[in-house]
Parts: sequence; C-alpha cells; structure tokens
Amino acid sequence: MRMATETGVAIGESEWEVKVPAKKLKNKLHFENLKAVVMDTGLCSRCLTCVSICPSGLIVTAEDNVDFPDYEERCLDCGACVRVCPRYDYKPLSGLGDYIEFIAGQSKRFKGQDGAMATELIVSAIDMGMIDRGLFVDRDERWMTGIFHVQDAEQLGVLTLGGTKYTFANVLPELKKAVMFTKRGVGVVGTPCMVSGIRKLQQEFPVFRERVKLVVGLFCTENFHYEEVSRYLQEKGVDFSKLVKTDITKGKFIATMTDEEVKFKVKELEEILPGGCNVCTDFTAVESDASVGSVGSAKGFSTVVVRAENAKKVINYIREKRTAEFGEAKPEELDFLIGHKKKREENIKRD
Amino acid sequence: MKKVATPEYDIKDKLKYHVSALSTAAKEVVMPLNITTHYPRERRKWPDCFRGYILFDPERCISCFECSFVCPANAIWMKEAPSGRYYPTLDYGKCIFCHFCVDSCPGGALRSTKIHDVAYKNMDEMFTHTEEMIEPPEIIREDEGYVEYEIDKEDLTLKRTKGKDKLIVDVAPSQGVPMVSLCIDRGSCIACKVCEKVCESGAVSSLLDEAKMIIKMKIDSEKCTGCGLCVKECSMQILRLVRRE
Repeated sequence: MRMATETGVAIGESEWEVKVPAKKLKNKLHFENLKAVVMDTGLCSRCLTCVSICPSGLIVTAEDNVDFPDYEERCLDCGACVRVCPRYDYKPLSGLGDYIEFIAGQSKRFKGQDGAMATELIVSAIDMGMIDRGLFVDRDERWMTGIFHVQDAEQLGVLTLGGTKYTFANVLPELKKAVMFTKRGVGVVGTPCMVSGIRKLQQEFPVFRERVKLVVGLFCTENFHYEEVSRYLQEKGVDFSKLVKTDITKGKFIATMTDEEVKFKVKELEEILPGGCNVCTDFTAVESDASVGSVGSAKGFSTVVVRAENAKKVINYIREKRTAEFGEAKPEELDFLIGHKKKREENIKRD
Repeated sequence: MKKVATPEYDIKDKLKYHVSALSTAAKEVVMPLNITTHYPRERRKWPDCFRGYILFDPERCISCFECSFVCPANAIWMKEAPSGRYYPTLDYGKCIFCHFCVDSCPGGALRSTKIHDVAYKNMDEMFTHTEEMIEPPEIIREDEGYVEYEIDKEDLTLKRTKGKDKLIVDVAPSQGVPMVSLCIDRGSCIACKVCEKVCESGAVSSLLDEAKMIIKMKIDSEKCTGCGLCVKECSMQILRLVRRE
C-alpha cells in the first residue's frame, strides 16, 4: 500500500475504533447524563470544555450558562462532552501542588495586574518558538470578555489584555480553533477549572496533547457571571466607563476607577457566587505547567509557580533575555486562600 | 547631430514598389480582405472549452460548497433550497470567468457554455439565482454563419462557414486529481458520525459494538468520490483529502 506522503497514513486501511463512554443513566443521551450529573447538581464550573468539543449545538446561553436548547433533535450522542468534562467524575484537587520553582516575577515589557508574568510567559514562549500563538482574554469598555489570538508581542501594545477580569471568558472554544490553526503549538492562560478541562482534552485527544504546549493557570478564588456581577457592582456605585482595575486583596474586593475606589468585603459577593465555584477547591491550578497570581509576592510582582519542564524552559529563556526581574515569593502566604478553598469540599454533595 | 538618411531607390526599385502597391489595391477592390467578424450576423466559432455562461444541474450537485470555496472572486453564494439542500447562486457582476468552480465540481454539476453575450439592465439582475442557472439564458440569434481564423506563416485569414454554431456542447467534466478521504488522527476522533451523515456516496460507515462499547468507523476508499464534504464538516478537522495514486 502506498503511503500518502503528507499524512503518513496508508490509503486503504481506513478503519478505526472509537471508545464510547459508559452512561450513568442508561437509555438517555450522553448530554442528558451530563446535564443530570453536572449542570443540574450545580457542579458545572462553566469551563466550557464540553462546548469546545461538541460537534453540534452545545452553547453558552444568554444567561451565561452552558446548555443545549434543542438537544433532543440535534444531539449526536457521541459522548464527547462526557469524556472531557472535568466535573463528570469530579475528583477535587487542592493544595499548592508539585513545583520545581516558586518565584516572584515582574515583567519589564508588559503592564498587568501585578507583575504581568502570565503575559510574559506566553509572549516569551512565542519568542523562543515553542508556540506560535497565545490566547488572551480581552475586555471591552463594558468589561465584557472576548478572546484574542496573539501571535506577536507587538499586538499586546494596543490591547487591554493584562489585568484580572472577574467574569467568565469563552477561552476553550477558542482554544479548539487555535489548535486547528496552529503550526507549532498554542499557549493558553486560564482559571484552574479551564486548566483541568484542557488536561481532560489532552488526555482524551492526541490533537490537543500535541498542540497545546503551554498551559498557564491563574490563582482563582471564584469567578462571576457577567450580568450578575455587573448589576451588583453598579449597585455598589461602580461606573464601568471609569473602571481601571478590579482586584481582591486581604478579603476585600477593590474596584479602582479613574477618580475613586469602591471597596467591600469579598464575602458579600457570596450571594452571586456561581455553584461551580462553590464546589471548587483548586486555588492554584495544580494541573497547570505554571501558575501565576498576585498572592505570595511583593506589590508589583506576580507569584510564579513553575511546575513543568516546558514552563521551566520559558522561565530560563526570560532569565537569559532579561525581560523580567525575579524576586522572592513566600508559599506560606497562599495557605489562607488554599485553606479557604479546601473548605468548599464540604459543599460537594455526594450521593 | 546624426542624421538618418532616407533610403535611396533607383528607378528600377521605384517602379517595382509602385506596381506592387497598385496590384494590392486592385486585389482589395476585387476581393476585400478583412479580419473583422460581422457580429451579430455571424459569430466567431469558439473552442469547445470556452469559458462562458455557467449552467447548473441540481441532480448532480452534492452541496459540497467546493465551488463557493474555490471561487477567487467570491461570486458564488450557496443558498438553501426548500429541500434543505444548498445550491450555488452566481453573481456575474463579480464572476471573472476563471471556471475554477466548473473544474473543481466533484459531481460535474456545473458546466460551461460558449454563451458570452448576455446583457443586463442593472447590477442586481447580474445576480443569478439557482433556478436561472439550470436553463441557458434566452438569446436572440441573428447569426447565419460562423467564422474561424486561420493563421498561416505570414498572415491571418478568415474562414466563413454557413450555419449556426452550437453554443452548448457536451464536454466531459473535468477529471481533476482523483482524491480519497482519510482520517489522519484516529485517536482524536469523537465518533460524532457527522462524516457518515454528510457522505453522499455511502463511503463512510459506523458500527456500534455494544459488548465492547466501541464504535467502528470506516471509510471505504472504493466508494469514496473524494468530494471532500466530510473533510469540511469534521468537527475535529482530522480528515484530509489525499491523492489516490
């Protein structure tokens, strides 16, 4: 049999097998299983792993939830959503996780929430040729999120890509597109739930294993639905047109505007806390290649937890090119929030 | 300054050239020689592969969108028919008559004609709906003969023939390069079976083995026509068209 040169697969042997995931509820569609086990129980973290892989109509609704409005007609029952959902067989992760290095960093090139190290890691990985595109969460003047594919450091000059956004973003559906487009590899920044989703995708599908080359996780206590948090903040007197940055420090939510600051206790936000975050115990994104956050390092610096060899290579490249300053970070400062999230294990209902 | 001198002829040469000029003039009076076609009373006979007005046969269309993808002028827009199938429409305001669509059509649903003289009153009219592409446009033919150019070593002459040239000729559809669909990353297949659904020729099949809980996917390369529908629809983008030989 002649080999097709560009693919390496011989023509003629076009038979293959795909395993079908077992159903918890027999005689129901896979999506109905997912809905019963994850969505209806409030486990869904809105990481959108299922939306990214669904070949049909799994979508994010106008209310910012994951749903499949006409699944009875359109669901193909392939079971891909069940295969990739990190909460279907939920094994909550917590703690600081394994790491090679625990450091503080401050980018000299970029400005972000703190040290802009997430941006620095992705752009350096592009510079060193590890990846050819990175996915960044952009925001508009109303603080709604959008995804931007960055292929060159210069693109970051004009975008509002740095800085924390406390609303969900549709990173993973864009990640799938990026994986289809990429020649060399993709880098992505995401919350712990997204990182778990990416790992699931990589575990199930070689195409993600081969092409997602750098996964940067963010320290995350919780995230909010856009409509809810914007209504809440407006009630608190936050003017979105003047909003410069949002941050959580020492138990307080601080919205910095051009002329004033609005502060209130984070606990107050619990009434709009999404169910998926309420059962999330992972603060540091333990499954990522490198985690980045502000807790644990001095003002103006980001804490970087280097967990994997690929991230270590990027850090070494940054050191070599001197695009960032490095300092000391204190792991013990994370203990409070790690503990705070660990407590959420109690919220997981077990049957 | 350098001057270019006029050639000097002696009386013998002068006489020779004068006679030649007079005889050419006399010849033209008796048998005029022009190379202009008297359109529309006569038409030029175009070769059978002429790229003119495009006709469409819905019976052969498999809605693969290849024509609209390949069109460099973005002149082809696929429109949903009442049957749920998608068929091409063609905007002659944009068409550059490259006929890439005709050549790339895997089912041979598009074909070329020698019709090149279609008039429109406005730009909107140039947008040709699917229904209008099935039958050739109405043309009033005043031609009673057709002409062909004959080129010999020195000159170009017209050959006039009585009768009407056939504007719609049967040309065998382009064979193209024989292609076959192939899955290049079987591990990433989610068995959504979209490929099986869209396949017109029944080349893709799936079989559920309930005991082992696996789905056996298969592409029959004998049945595959290489239309590329499955390649376009595959949600994981793991199918490719490859050359057969």
